[in-house]
Amino acid sequence: MKNGRLFLVIVALLLTSLSSAWAVKIEISAPGEQEIPLALTSFLPMGPIKPEIAQEIDAVLEADLSLSGLFSLVDRGAFLSDAESLGLSSVQVDFAQWKLLGAEAVIKGGYRVEGDRLIIEARLFDVVARRMLTGRRYIGKLDEARRIAHTFADQVLLSLTGTKGPFSSRIAYISNRTGKKELYLMEVDGHAPVRLTSHRKIVLNPDFSPVGKELLFTSYKNGNPDLFRKEIYTGRESRLSHRKGLNIGGRYSPDGREVAVTLSKDKNSELYLLGTDGTIHKRLTNHWGIDVDPSWSPAGNEIAFVSDRRGNPHVYIVKLDSLEVRRLTFDGKYNATPAWSPDGKRIAFSRLEDKRFDIYTIKPDGTDQRRLTFGPGNKEHPRWSPDGRFLVYSLDHNNEKSIYLMRADGTGTRRISAPGGDDSHPAWSGHW
Amino acid sequence: MQSMTLTRMFILFALVTLLATGCAKKAAMDDSQAAGGTQAVEETQMQEQQISSVEEQAVSDVAVAETEPAMMEAETLVRKLTRIHFEYDQYVLTKAAQDTLYANAQLLKAAPALKVVVEGHCDERGSDEYNLALGEKRALATRNYLISLGVPMDQLSTISYGEEVPLDMGGTEEAWSKNRRAEFTLQR
Amino acid sequence: MKLSKKQNWQRLHSRFEPGFMRMLLLSVAIHVLLPAFYTGLLYFSPPKEKPPVYRVNLVNKPVKNPQAGRPEASQKKQETVKKTQPKASPKPVVKPKPKPAPKPKPKPVVKPKPKPVAKPKPKPAPKPTVSKADEQSLAQKIDAMRRQKEREDRIAKLKEDLARERDKVVSPVVDAPVGEITGKGDEEGIAFASYVKAYITEQWRYSPYLGNNLNLEAVWVLVYSAEGQLVHKKVIAKSGNRAFDDSLLRAILKSQDLGRELGEKTEFEVTFNLREMQN
Repeated sequence: MKNGRLFLVIVALLLTSLSSAWAVKIEISAPGEQEIPLALTSFLPMGPIKPEIAQEIDAVLEADLSLSGLFSLVDRGAFLSDAESLGLSSVQVDFAQWKLLGAEAVIKGGYRVEGDRLIIEARLFDVVARRMLTGRRYIGKLDEARRIAHTFADQVLLSLTGTKGPFSSRIAYISNRTGKKELYLMEVDGHAPVRLTSHRKIVLNPDFSPVGKELLFTSYKNGNPDLFRKEIYTGRESRLSHRKGLNIGGRYSPDGREVAVTLSKDKNSELYLLGTDGTIHKRLTNHWGIDVDPSWSPAGNEIAFVSDRRGNPHVYIVKLDSLEVRRLTFDGKYNATPAWSPDGKRIAFSRLEDKRFDIYTIKPDGTDQRRLTFGPGNKEHPRWSPDGRFLVYSLDHNNEKSIYLMRADGTGTRRISAPGGDDSHPAWSGHW
Repeated sequence: MQSMTLTRMFILFALVTLLATGCAKKAAMDDSQAAGGTQAVEETQMQEQQISSVEEQAVSDVAVAETEPAMMEAETLVRKLTRIHFEYDQYVLTKAAQDTLYANAQLLKAAPALKVVVEGHCDERGSDEYNLALGEKRALATRNYLISLGVPMDQLSTISYGEEVPLDMGGTEEAWSKNRRAEFTLQR
Repeated sequence: MKLSKKQNWQRLHSRFEPGFMRMLLLSVAIHVLLPAFYTGLLYFSPPKEKPPVYRVNLVNKPVKNPQAGRPEASQKKQETVKKTQPKASPKPVVKPKPKPAPKPKPKPVVKPKPKPVAKPKPKPAPKPTVSKADEQSLAQKIDAMRRQKEREDRIAKLKEDLARERDKVVSPVVDAPVGEITGKGDEEGIAFASYVKAYITEQWRYSPYLGNNLNLEAVWVLVYSAEGQLVHKKVIAKSGNRAFDDSLLRAILKSQDLGRELGEKTEFEVTFNLREMQN
């Protein structure tokens, strides 16, 4: 009896261990390809043919999606008949054709013009699972094909990654195209630049409000470098701080309720927190050295800034509750313009090394420092896209300043500002 | 008048939105995400509004009246005040700068009615914000030195232009050293 | 009704046969030992996380000579070497003859002409930025096209190699289980395991830009029929990351047909992670 039970237990044990042993174990520790093959078809007319609309959508989607780094685009020349078919539901799409071409995802769509309205249908399909991943109908004005395409590109990233793309957001920057430095706004790919100020003095260093379409910047409009606030769509503008001396580097807190700023009202530049009415809530630094360039942590409890308190300019972090200051960077002789990533995991900044400024990132605990840019020219003023996927920065090369984008790992670099003017100090808006 | 057109625009916009969403709801989508379609419609409508406001409400152009044709005398006086230069990333006055400022102090003391702005400038290398702060330090160092030489405080104010107003755009070592300076302008 | 604890206890005792307590104790002891059995404390067994199959045999890419270096197969080795030698030369002959896969070839057949025509057509872009992007994308496309070809060629070659291997090698053990845990599985099984690994890897597409977490892992059980058809699939452990898990599902759906016979119904436990992409 005893032995019988023991035997049974052992047999049971053996059986379970054997059954798992029969399965052949395989470990696959990297995908075969690190890009998703995507077939991007031309959008088809659902009414009168307007080739320029289809081309515009194509070009924008292709540029946005390739910037994302997610995809390899399947050669259009190899497309089969389904690319010419307006079947936009998952039962109408001939997935077998796309599978044959190796595509895992396909984008199809159509456009129609109704009076002065443009209607665009756009779909993203999973070729393998044979289902629609996202479908959108956009209704806009005739000249809004670009914007709609950007919005759909955002949507594609959202449905594949769970995080919306930044392509329909905006970039503010400073340009001297009129002969004076003024504030401008453009789309993420550099299209549709609009001048927002006519101060005819010097406008500096913009920052977007996280809530509402509003910008902070410094202007010498009234003689002194004062901090201004401007509502983008109403054009309404007011001075937030015009204390004697510097009122520069205004940065909205992540909740939009406070503004970190550099003031020198007491004869030395120090960081302060202002309320949105311009009153001083708190003084953050108290040191005879220079303290400038604040950047909020996304949690809103710390601020990275630049100080020369130990000799050369380096990045420091101040805790807002205790005002405790810790040093972040130790390498290089000149570290400036810190920008905290939206997920809080990294801080981008520019560093002078070999007589040139380049963009670096570092973890907020000071470890894992990485250099992202190489090549000639000074790269400065990095700012993150609202989703943290990209960085925008200004490049000063051959006496021309221009604005560049790259992925957060330093790949995919491209110039976005048009030639023919000095463009610098980009600031990336939140999701628009 | 302006508010009239604004309200009218608003009502018009509201109507358009209503129409658009109405249409979109009718045309149901055959795939599972029909709701997404109407949501997208609203998205674009929002954009539309924003875009038109950008274009229509171009920024008001408040030109600042620049000069008033008096004070010619003061202008010529200020021009006699010589600018001084600084070392890289420094706001300490050099010996040469101190000598120049001594001469300037005599001129200022001789014309007590003259109100002067001390401008601090930097070369264009480095962070703009840091340079604004550095320029201010240069202006303040200059002012303090003049005060120590007996120039009345209220005769001197300061401003920093950082790297924004270079004298020489050359981008050479020589140009940079020219741009690292403090200079004097008439207070208006 | 109002019995004391002691009385209760005695009553319980009297109900059972005398040997019961001992048996109960034994049973408890065995239960206590059970976890020990599982953790491998009581008998010698290979550590669970790293089965020798993975280490000894499967690390290698598609194996031309799966037995290389294994002592028990050494006498067979010479044979295999002999046979692989001629393999190099007949290759150019073999390749064009058997159409290896249904997949790769039809493309150029279906649309040979429109290709050069279609490409320049959509290009006349008015804006300078656009045309620049187009130039880039054109290069990308050609590149993508080339890579696609290479990929297909690789799969085709894999299949060819395997076919040759399979036709020529005779299993030393008659009924050896495929890819046995002892690492002594017959070369056929090993070859198939690495073939399956290579095949699924080839189907798997995942971009690091899908998320910024490379510490993801998921485990699937896949059962393939003797004909190489996926007959059963089951997730044992999900990663919890939707983009990652979706990419695995796509890879597995694309691997429904291995394009080869396995010779025997086989269960695979496939662990997917991004270890090679970290750093």
